[in-house]
Amino acid sequence: MSLLEVQDLHVHFPVKRGIVLERTVGHVRAVDGVSLSVEQGRTLGVVGESGCGKSTLGRAVLQLEPITSGRVVFEGRDLSVLSADELRRARRRMQMVFQDPLASLDPRQSVASALAEPVRTHEPGARDLDARSRRLLDLVGMPATALNRYPHEFSGGQRQRIGIARALALDPQLVIADEPVSALDVSIQAQVLNLLAELQERLGLTYVVIAHDLAVVRHISDDVAVMYLGAVVETASSEDLYAAPLHPYTRSLLSAVPVPDPDVEDRRERILLRGDLPSPAAVPPGCRFHTRCPWRQPTRCHDEVPELRTVDLPVPVVPSGAADPAAAPVRSQGRVACHWAEQVASGALTPTSTLQT
Amino acid sequence: MSLSQVEAADTALEHPEEASAGLTRDAFRRLRRNPLAIVGASLITVFVLVALFAPLLAPYDPVASDLTDIRPGQFPGPSREHLLGLDEQGRDELSRLIYGARYSLLIGVVSTAMGATVGLLLGLLAGAFGGWVDSLVMRAMDVMLAVPGLLLAIGVAALLGRSITSIMIAVAVVNVPVFARLLRSSMLVQGRSDYVLSTRSLGVKRRKIVLGHVLPNSLAPVIVQATLVLATAIVEAAGLAYLGLGSEDPRIPEWGRMLAVTNAYLSSEPLLALWPGLAIVLSVLGFYLLGEALREALDPKLRR
Repeated sequence: MSLLEVQDLHVHFPVKRGIVLERTVGHVRAVDGVSLSVEQGRTLGVVGESGCGKSTLGRAVLQLEPITSGRVVFEGRDLSVLSADELRRARRRMQMVFQDPLASLDPRQSVASALAEPVRTHEPGARDLDARSRRLLDLVGMPATALNRYPHEFSGGQRQRIGIARALALDPQLVIADEPVSALDVSIQAQVLNLLAELQERLGLTYVVIAHDLAVVRHISDDVAVMYLGAVVETASSEDLYAAPLHPYTRSLLSAVPVPDPDVEDRRERILLRGDLPSPAAVPPGCRFHTRCPWRQPTRCHDEVPELRTVDLPVPVVPSGAADPAAAPVRSQGRVACHWAEQVASGALTPTSTLQT
Repeated sequence: MSLSQVEAADTALEHPEEASAGLTRDAFRRLRRNPLAIVGASLITVFVLVALFAPLLAPYDPVASDLTDIRPGQFPGPSREHLLGLDEQGRDELSRLIYGARYSLLIGVVSTAMGATVGLLLGLLAGAFGGWVDSLVMRAMDVMLAVPGLLLAIGVAALLGRSITSIMIAVAVVNVPVFARLLRSSMLVQGRSDYVLSTRSLGVKRRKIVLGHVLPNSLAPVIVQATLVLATAIVEAAGLAYLGLGSEDPRIPEWGRMLAVTNAYLSSEPLLALWPGLAIVLSVLGFYLLGEALREALDPKLRR
């Protein structure tokens, strides 16, 4: 049994018109049928461009966003059927780390109060609050002198450490980190990521890390789910995904990552996506990526919704434009939502719009 | 409400929430560096001191008449005995101005406090519960705002009869929707912030989130507004008194009424209109300058 099981999760926001008589004129399908599972002690990375619904997914998993349909099963319990009070008590087992550490801390609350608040809420009458707060600060590498200070007195990295300490105050099993480092300086990002990894090892935490930065996700994740317009288009182990992406969207995303080798960088082919992300209020029929897909085919793509299926592998996955197909990496497992995944992988189909640099 | 309470309320406005150190200390430092804040605070200090120590400062009894030198339409102007001259009843103008500060301060503070209390309660209801409570409260506030402020105040004051209390209530009523709307919108903004979400994800109860996090963070604009409303309350109260809606007792030295009485002698004794007018302008200016400086000091966008 996985620690966290997300089954066919939908989060739709109604679009309303009218002043006195409001009527619903449509839905923004922020999360549109996502199924995921995360094993105890592992890290799932969720990547996708902004607006793909990855943050909403994270919040919906924690029941911070009302779910339209689907189930979130955490430690064997379906969270969506819990009463408000049961849910409130269940929250201590699952926590969230936010993108902007300044915005996610109450500016009028001292660090001591911010760290003690969750404990006071769940263990009324707890006595060793001060000692516990000190231990938490120590855990995230902050001095105890921080206790009497306020969020605006710290640097971004320090604030994020405090945010992490607060999330860990109740000894949770699951931590959902929504863009945990994207608001930080690049020089600080690695420190915070290493802290997260270290804490996972020491406390046996399970992470869901949501990010748009592929390098961040690669660094920290065991498994990766790629989201596009509210749906997961590919899942794989981190290694496999980066070595041999299957879905056209994943391939184009990864082709945008620069390679630290000038020779490769020169020959490397970049796949350009045309157009903007379609509105999640009007998701394209068929494959939701077909409006921008460089591998789009005249059949199936525009009228048949591709299932997230396990592709019959191992087949060598040929990077487009590779000189020697024999040296292509072999991929062991993973699931992808593309009708033509095998043909795209083997190089039988070629993209129509690429940019040779 | 005694004058000491009035002063306490006044200083509370100048030192909002001593307890929450960090931010408030910062705002205070910025406030001290702002020359306009210094001017405003000085004017208010003088105003409050004059009101408090009126019996010590006033050279004469403000209600005692000396009719020996009074002729119809002609009163003795400034002299060594009466620095600002005598009014139409032969009373010392300076002493009346000094005692008048008490009434202006009292009316300003009490009506602002009443307006703020009711307005903040309504705003809290609307902001905390949302939904139909919010709609109900806010539509009622919209109706009140649709009537021009002074007209509404005149209506309320006329309804309640002539007294200082009815002026205070009238001015308070006008300011209720201002505070309600302000707190509600401020709470809506704060309620959508990440720290509320993070506190919610920790399982903290809703009531505690609203009262312990959203409300305190929504109060900064309210404090600024209260300072500015104090200024307008003094003007509105003077306006109502000018229109004859103040107390029926002619002995009460209220600036607005003092101004109204001089109407009849404006051509012969224009100075008598100048003094109460100047007193109103300076006291209002003090609160206004401080309010504007507070707005800048508390604005999170200008932080650091």
